[in-house]
Amino acid sequence: MSVLTISRRGLLAGSALLLASTALPAIGRAQTPKKGGRLIVAADSEPRNLNPAIVASNGVFFISSKVVETLAEASFDGKDGLQPRLALSWQGAADGLSVTFKLRDGVKWHDGKPFTSADVAFSALEIWKPLQNLGRTVFKDLEAVDTPDELTAVFKFARPTPFQLIRNALPALTSVVPKHVYENGKIEDNPANNAPVGTGPFKFAEYKAGQYYRLARNDDYWGKDEPFLDEIVYQVLPDRTSAAAALEAEEIQLAAFSAVPLADLDRISKVQGLKVVTKGYEGLTYQLVVEINHRRKELADLKVRQAIAHAIDKDFVVKTIFLGYAAAATGPVPKNDPQFYTPDVPTYPFDVAKANDLLDEAGYKRADDGKRFSLKLLPAPYFNETKQFGDYLRQALAAIGIDAEIVNNDPAAHMKAVYTDHAFDLAVGPPVFRGDPAISTTILVQGGIPDGVPFSNQGGYKNAELDALIAKASETLDTSARTALYKEFQKMVAADLPLINVAEWSFISVARDTVGNIANNPRWAVSNWADTYLES
Amino acid sequence: MRRLRRFFRTPEAIAGALILGLLVAMALAAPLLFPGDPQAIAGPALLPPFQDWSLPLGTDRLGRDMLAELFHGARTSLAVGLAAAAAALLIGAVVGTLAGFAGGLIDEVLMRISDAFQTVPSFLLALAFVSIVGPSLGVVVAAITLGVWTGPARVARAEVLSIRERDYVAGARVIGMHPLEIAFREVLPNALPPVLALSSVIVAAAILTEAALSFLGLGDPNRVTWGGMIAEGRAVLRTAPYLSIVPGIALVLAVLGVYLAGEGVVESTAVRRSLP
Repeated sequence: MSVLTISRRGLLAGSALLLASTALPAIGRAQTPKKGGRLIVAADSEPRNLNPAIVASNGVFFISSKVVETLAEASFDGKDGLQPRLALSWQGAADGLSVTFKLRDGVKWHDGKPFTSADVAFSALEIWKPLQNLGRTVFKDLEAVDTPDELTAVFKFARPTPFQLIRNALPALTSVVPKHVYENGKIEDNPANNAPVGTGPFKFAEYKAGQYYRLARNDDYWGKDEPFLDEIVYQVLPDRTSAAAALEAEEIQLAAFSAVPLADLDRISKVQGLKVVTKGYEGLTYQLVVEINHRRKELADLKVRQAIAHAIDKDFVVKTIFLGYAAAATGPVPKNDPQFYTPDVPTYPFDVAKANDLLDEAGYKRADDGKRFSLKLLPAPYFNETKQFGDYLRQALAAIGIDAEIVNNDPAAHMKAVYTDHAFDLAVGPPVFRGDPAISTTILVQGGIPDGVPFSNQGGYKNAELDALIAKASETLDTSARTALYKEFQKMVAADLPLINVAEWSFISVARDTVGNIANNPRWAVSNWADTYLES
Repeated sequence: MRRLRRFFRTPEAIAGALILGLLVAMALAAPLLFPGDPQAIAGPALLPPFQDWSLPLGTDRLGRDMLAELFHGARTSLAVGLAAAAAALLIGAVVGTLAGFAGGLIDEVLMRISDAFQTVPSFLLALAFVSIVGPSLGVVVAAITLGVWTGPARVARAEVLSIRERDYVAGARVIGMHPLEIAFREVLPNALPPVLALSSVIVAAAILTEAALSFLGLGDPNRVTWGGMIAEGRAVLRTAPYLSIVPGIALVLAVLGVYLAGEGVVESTAVRRSLP
């Protein structure tokens, strides 16, 4: 019998020993990175075109930023928030007509050919400017790229272009691809778009549709001792609920881009051997926006838009839909942006009574059934949170007598309905803030944009004063004057509400404790992972 | 009365009738017990069941009352199930009668069309139809009907084939009735009982198909559906499993109730036939 008795002291000693044993690896954690190993990562989508120079989107970067590098990467502590990659330095001319890049020496493409300024010139003129979704705007005035020697590239602009904008565009828009691979034939049809060739720390090894992407170590990488990992495997797990289970079962070691649902984070943070990391996405802020179709007569009335803004409880959205992993928005620039954000804009506190008064004033009285008018509401299908916010917004509008009917579409049909057919009254959209309002934010409210351009002003909003401000800011070279103009821009947007910014959120990574050097720059998930390592 | 007594002779039938009765009562009482929008936010989010007696089944991720959603979901499930079954039986009976009674080319054409529908899995057909036309209650009913009308059509045709050779049909012909009149006034009513026996199977299948469509996000987003509730809960299955379990149980019970009640009806009619 005595064998089976458990004394309190014995139990305590035993559990203390257990605790100590778990602390052991933690003590030795801050040591030098280990070489070798295979990192297995969850991938929730399978982009077919993996050329980041053409498709500058986070889904593509997640995989191909390890293969194809940009001129510079975002940084927490570097000058202007940047750290060098393929370019070592960048200098803008005072007249805004040229930018000079000094390139890194001794860099080789994955096929062994040397990387030179000709590759940069080719990428800029043949791909970024004419073909890239974001580059079309930023590099629209790029006229030529001079290459006085193999390690210098001078960008020449036809019209003055703010150096601040070019700088802010470096991390996302400047993926350099090899000229010798792309110069023959049509660039869009090049097979290297599906199996990219770059200068990055990892080479593209193979892709099995529906199963995985595999990247292998580039032994000739320019970074000293880098990369540390031998392989990165992207395991395709389209079902969001399976990523958490796969992490717990040690089938994968990292799930980025909130592949683990927010509601599961609380539980998973208590699981031994897993860590929840909220850092590493500061440069990838998504905005939760109510897009408004100004062609609808009721919505063209500012009072109605103000009423809708007052009807939304941003606090509820942040706490309940995003479970605290978001921030309430005040305007079109997110709070976490260090350069442009201003809190000094008109705000719309949650106030249902005021919203009702505004609608009464606007002349939309409640009918006998309590409804003022009906709307079609199209929540974007890309994120769980956008769909849930759609459900919430329907309730918030019901409280002020607006009857919203939700229309669910798949991603392609949603794009067509909102951006081509304009078959919506309100839509919920998740535009991305990319470090500079001129890259992808002003286009959301600018007048005169052709049909079918995704993530643009498709609500038909026109405001000559705002358009003039956007035009002026786009050619203002002085950084502080330009920043001031964008602060003015935020005020005007918040005052006239061409769209309603509700919240700003970013992503969460969940990783096993053995994965080191994660989240060490503001775009970590889409950076090159050269210094990421695995403890065995 | 005797039929009713026969029906209640088996325990399965009693259980089925009870469940079905409860379900119908839930559906009818929903707007009285839970007036207003069942999707309105009623309390704190993710409240577990049996904590707060004003919200006995707790709340979902947005703080909506689960019990209200469950009751209103019963309305959607039953409405879709009954409407789809009624439409399928109507179409099936008409097509089957026409094919069986007319014979020849019309029979061939109608039956090959039904073959074509039968070769495509009915759920796939519904999925494709809804994703093309866009989700709303009417479309969901039509989509489900598309996949199930062939069953009643085949049964009706088989019955009609035997009935049309009977003497009273020949009699009707002799007195000069129009063939269509004979088909629908003399033949169809007599061919109907075996077709109606299919109804419970069809209602049950329709409820399940509707739930599956809603689960995949192809249900009417402006109505509460049990499938939609299960899908909502799936994202938080590990932390709040009740969100999926509660509507899941409701779904199981509904399908079981319809099935058992249908079995009971078939059983009681079978007894009548064997003991005239």
